[in-house]
Amino acid sequence: MNESREANSSDIGRLVEASQAGDRGAFDELVRLYQRRAMRAAVRILGDANEAAETVQNAFVKAYLNIDKLKEPRRFEVWLLRIVTNAAISQQRSARRRAERIKVINCHEDKKAVSLVDKAVGEELKGAIQAAMQKLSKKEAKAISLFGLEDLSQSEVAEIMGCSAAAVGWHVFKGRQKLKRLLKEYL
Amino acid sequence: MARVQRQAEVEEIAEGVPVMKNEKEKIDLLFEKNANEQLAGIDWGKFNGAISSRLDEADLSKTSRSKLPTVFKIASGVAAAAAVVFVAMMLRTENPAKMPLENSGHAVVEFIEARGSASVEIIDRNGEGKENGSQAAWIIIRMPEPVLVADPFLQEADNGANGYLRDLIHLF
Repeated sequence: MNESREANSSDIGRLVEASQAGDRGAFDELVRLYQRRAMRAAVRILGDANEAAETVQNAFVKAYLNIDKLKEPRRFEVWLLRIVTNAAISQQRSARRRAERIKVINCHEDKKAVSLVDKAVGEELKGAIQAAMQKLSKKEAKAISLFGLEDLSQSEVAEIMGCSAAAVGWHVFKGRQKLKRLLKEYL
Repeated sequence: MARVQRQAEVEEIAEGVPVMKNEKEKIDLLFEKNANEQLAGIDWGKFNGAISSRLDEADLSKTSRSKLPTVFKIASGVAAAAAVVFVAMMLRTENPAKMPLENSGHAVVEFIEARGSASVEIIDRNGEGKENGSQAAWIIIRMPEPVLVADPFLQEADNGANGYLRDLIHLF
């Protein structure tokens, strides 16, 4: 059981209300409780811890600056994960655009680059997952990322994504189909 | 037909997650493996500290934003005061420095900045009618009009010996 789930919703609600009243310590406690979960969600989309760390830090700052706008303090987790996944998707898209630009510029060096790729299994898997996740639609990537998070139900994923539980199932299904095809050599 | 089929798939997936159990396990294990490897090296204390310092920066920018209107007001006040002083100094430099004001008559005065000369005519009624405030004293200043455009016709017409700009200053 993760730390954020150990704290019950009324504790979370109190911490959020205190944060809304300007208690910085209360928000720090929320960060401590949710940082691992936020990182896991971001890593599942981005595939890389460094990119995920930057995204999660930005997401926490955004949450901190907009905490007043959270109407239901007990729903902090849903609200935060929505911010995190949106930020991760944006980061992923901009990373893809950067990569495409670099690819166009350095197309003549492709063979050399491939020969220099780190052969470590972990790095290879990371790269494969990153490439595969970029082939998914935004909703598929979000659904795959959130659906695999510990203790997060399909209806909670639906709430985070702002769609029905059935739609979440559909996005998970389609996402998995694509991932299965793209990552077949690792399955 | 396709819509019905798609709807059926959605319902089947939404209600029957176990149908995908095998695929889910394989894919999720792969993702879990990568996530665990990526997160394994993270020092959560340091990560927490990094977030905390980012929040400190956000606090600072929030505070400076809230202070901005006050700073802006002070800056506006200072600028307005500086403008008043500047205008006052400009007016002061345009005032005649040496001007023999002795009753009425003519005098040629020089400006401090030596920008030119002007003839000054003082019309004073010698106190006549001043008691009831109905009579005023006047100064007529004649000075050459500055040439703004290098047009020979304009110069001839407006800037010659008769081309004086006449200013009247109402004294009291």
